[in-house]
This record gives sequence, C-alpha cells and structure tokens, in this order.
Amino acid sequence: MTAVHATTKPEVPVLEVRDLAVHFGGVKAVDGLSFSLTAGKIFGVLGPNGSGKSTMLAAVTRLVRLTRGELLFGGEPYHHEPPRAMAGLGIARTFQTVRLLEDRTVRENVLLATDDHLIRGRAARRAVAERVDQAIERVGLTKVRRLRPTELSYGMQRRVEIARAIAMNPRLLLLDEPTAGMNRQEREDISALMRGLQAEGLTQLIIEHDVQMMVDTCDHLFAMTTGKLIAEGEPRAVVRHPAVQEAYLGSRHGRGHARA
Amino acid sequence: MSDWYAANIVLVQSTMTTLLLALSIQLPLRVGVFSFAGVGCYGIGGYAAAICMIRLEMTTWPSIAVGTLLAGAASFLLGLLIQRLNGLYLGMATIAFTLIIAILAVNGGSLTGGAAGLFGALGDLTTGSILAVTLVVVVVFALSETGGLGRRVDAVREDPELAAAMGVDVSRYRRMSFLVSGLVGGLSGALTILLRSSITPAEVNFQLVVLALTVIVVGGFRSWAGALIGSVIFVWLPKALDFVGEWETVVYGVIVVLAALYLPGGVLGLAADLYHRLRSGRRGGETDDEKGAGGADAGPGAVAGREFDQLAVPGEGR
Repeated sequence: MTAVHATTKPEVPVLEVRDLAVHFGGVKAVDGLSFSLTAGKIFGVLGPNGSGKSTMLAAVTRLVRLTRGELLFGGEPYHHEPPRAMAGLGIARTFQTVRLLEDRTVRENVLLATDDHLIRGRAARRAVAERVDQAIERVGLTKVRRLRPTELSYGMQRRVEIARAIAMNPRLLLLDEPTAGMNRQEREDISALMRGLQAEGLTQLIIEHDVQMMVDTCDHLFAMTTGKLIAEGEPRAVVRHPAVQEAYLGSRHGRGHARA
Repeated sequence: MSDWYAANIVLVQSTMTTLLLALSIQLPLRVGVFSFAGVGCYGIGGYAAAICMIRLEMTTWPSIAVGTLLAGAASFLLGLLIQRLNGLYLGMATIAFTLIIAILAVNGGSLTGGAAGLFGALGDLTTGSILAVTLVVVVVFALSETGGLGRRVDAVREDPELAAAMGVDVSRYRRMSFLVSGLVGGLSGALTILLRSSITPAEVNFQLVVLALTVIVVGGFRSWAGALIGSVIFVWLPKALDFVGEWETVVYGVIVVLAALYLPGGVLGLAADLYHRLRSGRRGGETDDEKGAGGADAGPGAVAGREFDQLAVPGEGR
C-alpha cells in the first residue's frame, strides 16, 4: 500500500511523531515529544521562547539530527530521508525569519517552489504557472508580483513565503510564526487563508505566540515547555489548563480568555 | 577595420580565453562554493594539451579535448574530496590544489619541461574556431541562468537550507559546479597555450587566481555577462592605460577597490538594478500605488477598508 492511499483513510494520521528527542550537547531542546496530526485539521503549538517549538519543526523537516525517536508521514517512517525529500513527500514549511531570494521578483520566488526539473511538457508547465499565480492571489500579492521582496513591507514578505509554501501543493503545511510582524488585519487575513486551505483538506501545523489567534484559528492545540508537551486538546481548554497558565501565559491569558 | 583587427588579434583571442577562465571561477561562486580550482584546471588543461601535441604528436583539437576532459575529471574528483569543506577552508583547499599543479609542473621532468616549461605547442587555431567554442560555452552558461535552473542555482547559493526545503539536491549542484568549472578552466588553459605555443609553471600561479577574481568582481559575479564585461575591461585596459606607464598596476588596483566598495554586483549588477528600477517605474500607476501602500509611512488610517493586497503596515499592532 502506498503512502497516498494510507493518508486518505482518516484513522492514519498525516504526521506522527513518536518519542522525538533532539539534544544539542547537554541541552535537551526537544525531549520525548509524541503527537500525531489527523488529516484536514489545523494544529497549533504554543510555547515560550526556547521551549523547543522551532527545533521540533526543524526535526520534523529533517533539518536537525534526531537524538531519538521516529517520524511517520502517512504511516510511513521518513526520519532517514534527507531534507530535500520533504518536498516530494508533501511537507512544505515557512521559516521563522524571512528567507526569500532578494534579487528575484515575488513571482519568481514563488516559482521556486515548483522548480522540479522533472516537470516536462507545456501543459504541465502551464498548470504549474497557474498554481503559482493562484498561490500569489490567495495571499493577496497579485499586484506586486513583479516587485522584489526588498520593495515590500515585512508583512508582505512573510506572505510571499506562505504563497511559496502553498504553491508546493503540500499535504502538510508547517508555519513557523507566520503572522509575526503583521498588523491585526493581516493576521485576520492569514487566519482566514488557513481556514480556506483547511476547507480544501490541507492539514496545517502552526507555531505562534498570539494566543488569541491560535484559539480562533486552530482545532487542536499543543502546549510545550522545555522540550516537552504539557497539554494538548481543544484550544480553549489548553489555554485554561493550569500548567499552561503557570508556564507562560500569565496576564495575556486573562485577556485572551475573557474575549473567548 | 581589418588593420585594427590584425593589430589587435591577440587581444581579441585573449579576451575569449580570459572569459572562459573567468567563467570557470564564476560558476562555483554562483552556487555558493568558494573555489579557485578553475585556475589549477587551467594549468592541467594547458599542460595536457601541450604534452599531447609535443610528446604524443596529436593534432590541435584532440589535444584540446584531452586537456579539457582531464581537467574536468581532476576537478570533479577534487570536488568529491573536499565537499565537506565550506567557505574559506574550501577556498584555501582549492588554492592549494592550484599551487600543487604548479609544483607538479616544475617537478615533472622531461614530461612537463620543469621550470622552463614546454615550447613549440603551436596549435592550428583560428579566431573563428575559438569564437565558436566560446559561444557554445557562453550559451550553456546563459541557459543555466534562466528559468527554473537559474532560480535553483540562486537558491543553492543564497540559502542552501531553503533550497533543500524546496526539494533541491544542493550537494549535487555543488559537485556539478566542480565538474563544469574544471572542464571550462581546462578548455581555457588548452586554448591559451596552443595559441601562445608555450607554457611555464610560473603562469599557473596565484596571480592568475587574482586576475580571474578581479574580472568577476568588477564585471559582476552573477552572470556570464558580468564575466564578459570584466574580461573586456581587463584585457583591454593595459592598452588603454599605456599613457600612465608604470602606474598601470596602481590604476588597476584602484579600479578593483572602487568596484568592491561601490559595485557589489559589479558593472552588470549596476546595470541590472537600473533596468529593474526603470521597468517597475514605467509600469506606472499600478505599481506606484503598491509601493505607496507597501511603504512604512502608510499610516493605520490607510488600512481601513482597503483590500488585503494593499495592507502593508509593518509591525503595527504587535
């Protein structure tokens, strides 16, 4: 049975992480993390700086060496694959910092996501170009597609990154603080975009500091501190969880909770 | 015209061989590999071609082919050997490779002619045939800068981790850059030596590394056109600078320093920036509007009621 068939069954999670550990020398950045992502939902990871969120994402995309643990995509182990195999599996990600080619236009940056040298034939190329233009449209950058990233605001640059990830046509989208540096309206737009992608069946995992946005957007939250999971479940319940509040929410929680 | 041509034929030919050498140094830089192995390959190509002609009595083009292929093979193997190195360490390893080639040439006995080098390897080369070969190389390089391949090469250089996330096999691109750089460097060496009919170990030295690098820095390291601009400048500059006499090298140095300081993308980078600015400026109202909305001064008042793609107030509301 191929991986594609496996994930169409709802009971096989898109991504499963088993006892993941990433240690840098004596620092246990991630230590014994297990979770699974079921198809078609939006998952969120909450946690203070240094709680291991980004390291977890780096491990899931094979950018760091695993100290221990297993990674399964659609039921198939993939923790021995190189980072470049992620695109082929269907795992797309954005990075915590803006990582765009400065001398290329917005459209060319998004095209990079589809630069598979195996794409042959005019029809296939046209389909790819269409996918790229759609992705740019979805993040609302159609009018600036011929500008270079350096000519855009920070929030717009981040949207180019999201467009690039979407254009990869992934089965799992990983977003590392996608709305950092964005204003409220832009955040709401990103949130709406994620909902739209979900309606098309895309599974998403998002790392964010904005508790309100996480509660509004996600179906399921994970809370991390010091490389471990301390709570997971329905977003409001996770935010109210005593361990979560004590760990890092503090007064921000009060505000977010009152509105929720 | 033909008088001018006859008087400058050496410079015309030299422009093309310098361009090939510059391209061989430029290619690794384009994929983010700090390698000067191309100069060593120039030496391998030159010596191999000369040995083929003098010792093996081969004809011109087979000798050039042997020199080119041998240099390509050596460069590819070197690439495999040092692929774990990065940055300055890689640069030093490749300079060492180049110097080792020179030492081998000095100590090669009758095969390489020792310190005196090899003489009498005069190839049967016309300017037209050199031009044809150079054109083929330039077209291949130009194609590698366009479309998806060009973007992937840029990504491998600017952000290997990002390139990998996009499914690009970064180390394969680096290995290929060693191979192609070696082939083109070897070709440059073989052509140069068969034009001059002689080669000495002193020609394969650090100065050649500096020349190639200068050509690329001043011309522009991102494109074959930059290498061409640089080659034209530095092959023809000595002629133009005749009047300054012994100050020539000083002028030379000043140009390099100015280029490094004020033209990070070289002459070509400057031209490309101007072109992009002209183009996005001429598209008129549409683009200008967006620039306004994208600018940092667009206040919160500008946000209300506008479309998603025009919202761009960075950092507001954090």
